[in-house]
Amino acid sequence: MHQFRYSNSEREMEVYGYDSVVKSHCRMCHGGCGVIVFVKDGKVAKIAGDPDCPIAHGTLCTKGLASAQLAYHPDRLTYPVKRVGPKASGRWERISWDEALDTIAERILAYKEKYGPESVVFGYGTGRENEAVIYRIANLLGSPNVLTAGHFCYGPRISTGIITCGTNPIADYENFPKCIMMWGNNVTISNPDEYKGEPFSVALDHGAKLIVVDPRLTRPAARANVWLQLRPGTDAALALGMLNVIVNEELYDKEFVEKYIHGWEPFVKRVNEHPLDKVEEITWVPKEKIREAARLFATTKPAAIQWGVAIEQQNNCADNDRLLMFLMGLTGNIDAPGGQVLNRTPNIVNVGQFGAHGMLPKDQFAKRLGGERFRLASRFAIIQPKCVWDAILEEKPYPVKMLFFISSNPVITRANAKEVYRALEKVEFMAVADFFLTPTAELADIVLPAATWLEMDYVGDFWKRHGYILPRRKVIQVGECHSDHEMLNDLAHRIGQGQYWWDNFEKALDYILHPMGITWNDFKKMNYIRGEVKYYKYKEGGFSTPTRKFELYSTTLEKMGYDPLPQYREPPESPVSTPELYKEYPYILITGARPPGFFHTENRQVPRLRELHRDPIVEIHPDGAAKEGIKEGDWVIIESRRGRVRQRAKIALGRDPRIVAAQHAWWFPENKDPGHGWDESNINILTDNALEGCDPAMGASNIRTLLCRIYPEKKHPMKKKNRMSDYRD
Amino acid sequence: MNRYALIIEEFACWGCKACEVACKQEYNPVDATNGIKYLSVWGDGPKLMNGKLDFMWRVNVCKHCEEPPCAQACPVEAIMKREDGIVILDYEKCTGCQLCIDECPYHAISFDEDRKTVAKCNLCHHRVDKGLYPACADNICLAHCIYFGDPAEIEKKILEKRKIRGGWGDIIPKAIKISRR
Ligand code: SF4
Ligand code: SF4
Ligand code: SF4
Ligand code: SF4
Repeated sequence: MHQFRYSNSEREMEVYGYDSVVKSHCRMCHGGCGVIVFVKDGKVAKIAGDPDCPIAHGTLCTKGLASAQLAYHPDRLTYPVKRVGPKASGRWERISWDEALDTIAERILAYKEKYGPESVVFGYGTGRENEAVIYRIANLLGSPNVLTAGHFCYGPRISTGIITCGTNPIADYENFPKCIMMWGNNVTISNPDEYKGEPFSVALDHGAKLIVVDPRLTRPAARANVWLQLRPGTDAALALGMLNVIVNEELYDKEFVEKYIHGWEPFVKRVNEHPLDKVEEITWVPKEKIREAARLFATTKPAAIQWGVAIEQQNNCADNDRLLMFLMGLTGNIDAPGGQVLNRTPNIVNVGQFGAHGMLPKDQFAKRLGGERFRLASRFAIIQPKCVWDAILEEKPYPVKMLFFISSNPVITRANAKEVYRALEKVEFMAVADFFLTPTAELADIVLPAATWLEMDYVGDFWKRHGYILPRRKVIQVGECHSDHEMLNDLAHRIGQGQYWWDNFEKALDYILHPMGITWNDFKKMNYIRGEVKYYKYKEGGFSTPTRKFELYSTTLEKMGYDPLPQYREPPESPVSTPELYKEYPYILITGARPPGFFHTENRQVPRLRELHRDPIVEIHPDGAAKEGIKEGDWVIIESRRGRVRQRAKIALGRDPRIVAAQHAWWFPENKDPGHGWDESNINILTDNALEGCDPAMGASNIRTLLCRIYPEKKHPMKKKNRMSDYRD
Repeated sequence: MNRYALIIEEFACWGCKACEVACKQEYNPVDATNGIKYLSVWGDGPKLMNGKLDFMWRVNVCKHCEEPPCAQACPVEAIMKREDGIVILDYEKCTGCQLCIDECPYHAISFDEDRKTVAKCNLCHHRVDKGLYPACADNICLAHCIYFGDPAEIEKKILEKRKIRGGWGDIIPKAIKISRR
């Protein structure tokens, strides 16, 4: 009888006759999962999970499994091109890497000379683990402007984590939390940042209790012991309500509060301004439920919070993050096994050092776009997108002349997409590095072919805070594609930064690893390296904050001129803040629930992933659907004050009838028009980016909750159903 | 004699659809833009289930029934149950008459327009016979809820898990109890 063994690569090699097998590290999302890649005739033949991986233990998601279809996609850009017609004309001509990089270098130097280095803005999307090289080249050039998703994704957790307790606290699934509070997140689908769905799921299988905070009934919400179905955008009020219960019922960790907290009294005062009656009215969550959840969370030890980006893409971004950290802290779960750990990364050159932030001259730092307004963001090298669009369109406070986007598709992902599009149409010169000619790339002057994770060597998870680094090993070469890191290393030499860079990027990997006394070649032979594992580190040296305490009252924010205590602000558009508008736009629109298979704008051309979701879906409650005359599967129009888009209706219970939920990041690569349908279903046509509506400290655009109307689009009858993957989502 | 079954504990499924893609990877070359699905995951609800608002993911795949009605319906004996329990559709024999499709109580058979035969999960018997786990059951599932092996052993494992979970999951996976029609 055969002995069955998971991911049995030896047997797999024998049976299928593969030529070789490479262990690597997926990056179809933020990365994390260890993979085994089987190769035949020089091509990737199969991708399997690596059971030795400490992050996901050999499990994979749809994206990881479909990576080869991305790498070998027939539409993939495999050589550099330059545009030979007007923007968005779709007329491109093949050029050499030398011509491409020389042209980009010439432009960078010319703009630097004429308008200052700040007129050149680099950008990336949701970190393709290229952040360190991009910051390095920008800082060394003297440009303080790197446009990332950092204002409303992960950046806020890092920034508020650092000012509150020294770093971003990470849920410690390894030690099995006994209670998990999943807040505005579904880790089983999204696998965000440090977290993967697998360890979360295993913790539940070990008996953890579950609290879910979500306006939608997701599967985790359906499985939860307590589901808090809040009004979108009221997270801060809900957290203040829970803290109110914890403080007034004395459910907090007394020793922690006595010894390790800064600002207890003013904090208690703030919390007492949020009695449960008031919180119920704001959040629509019955106060008994809030109390039940607060008690369960505070009295079950250890407990962890599974959080994510939804609470950050709001006007309450920084305070939402801080309040959730307060819940972790007050209950004694910070740096506790099975709670929320302040991990130590291995002893390597960290992302900040590699990013050469210290090399940016002071007077250039002072020119950071929006730096005076969004002071917390600016401290952490983060800028607000609208400030860049304004600098292009109105040349205020100074002109931005060049954009270089690396793995970023801002016409789809940034708020107020029409304005983004206008800015990209106007900017004098734009370079893009990506896998495909995306709607953003179609507006570029030069597009560089970027490598997928299968085509690069890298120190995987270098930037994360879970304490691990894992080798990503190159498996294949596709066309002339280069990794973002290699192309920037090359470009840096062409703009006179040679002395700070390397002959080839492998030497940069050696540099990252050198404090540990190892090289890339040594690391390549390992499965992973983990930083020192230690709990309750604060008991020895305190927290790494100005007061050495866990700061409820933030001395940093106070110095920057912000309210040192967290507060609740109504969303800029809501039944409460804009009642008149609510009469005209009578639904609260929430955006961005993640379907499996896509990573923001990515993968809509990958057949195995696209067939999971052929069309963009907007969910509406049966009451709302009946009222608006919408039937299941209808194409409908969703409209806000700023524009209208079409998606297909899914009628579902488990949402408040006043809410509709639309998917984000849709474009249609199969549409061969150079716009690729960028404005057809793109929900950011509807979102607002007015600076007044952003988080005052981080500049987070409020894209998750706004007001809309919704009605059937009669002229487009429902398309014929697909054969096997019928429309159902 | 080995007894093989593929059992998915739907209670634990998160709807990530990795199993769908793993199956696709096994049966379709990388450049294939389509290809039939042997397994598909779909959202059931949110709706009222047993008086409670609930939402479940369902995994639609052949249950390798004890007395497979699909086999009984097939006029050319293209569907056979092996002694180890795997119900195999022989694509060479299938004439595409589709008589089996309506007989399957789990809607696990579909018609492949390209091949002009029906299609269903054959439990990756080409892998199983060589000592490899079925592609979807090879530890890819983040919920660890796809089980392959002896059905009695699997039932034991699921019940054990359920106990630790604290009583969650009162729905016995359907494949364990397959009744005659
Ligand atoms: S979760 Fe991310 S890292 Fe893991 S397999 Fe999916 S895409 Fe890859
Ligand atoms: S892989 Fe597991 S969790 Fe994901 S859809 Fe399949 S059965 Fe469900
Ligand atoms: S009847 Fe359906 S589930 Fe049962 S063996 Fe046949 S195809 Fe599989
Ligand atoms: S056992 Fe094999 S054929 Fe059946 S669903 Fe799983 S992967 Fe597909």
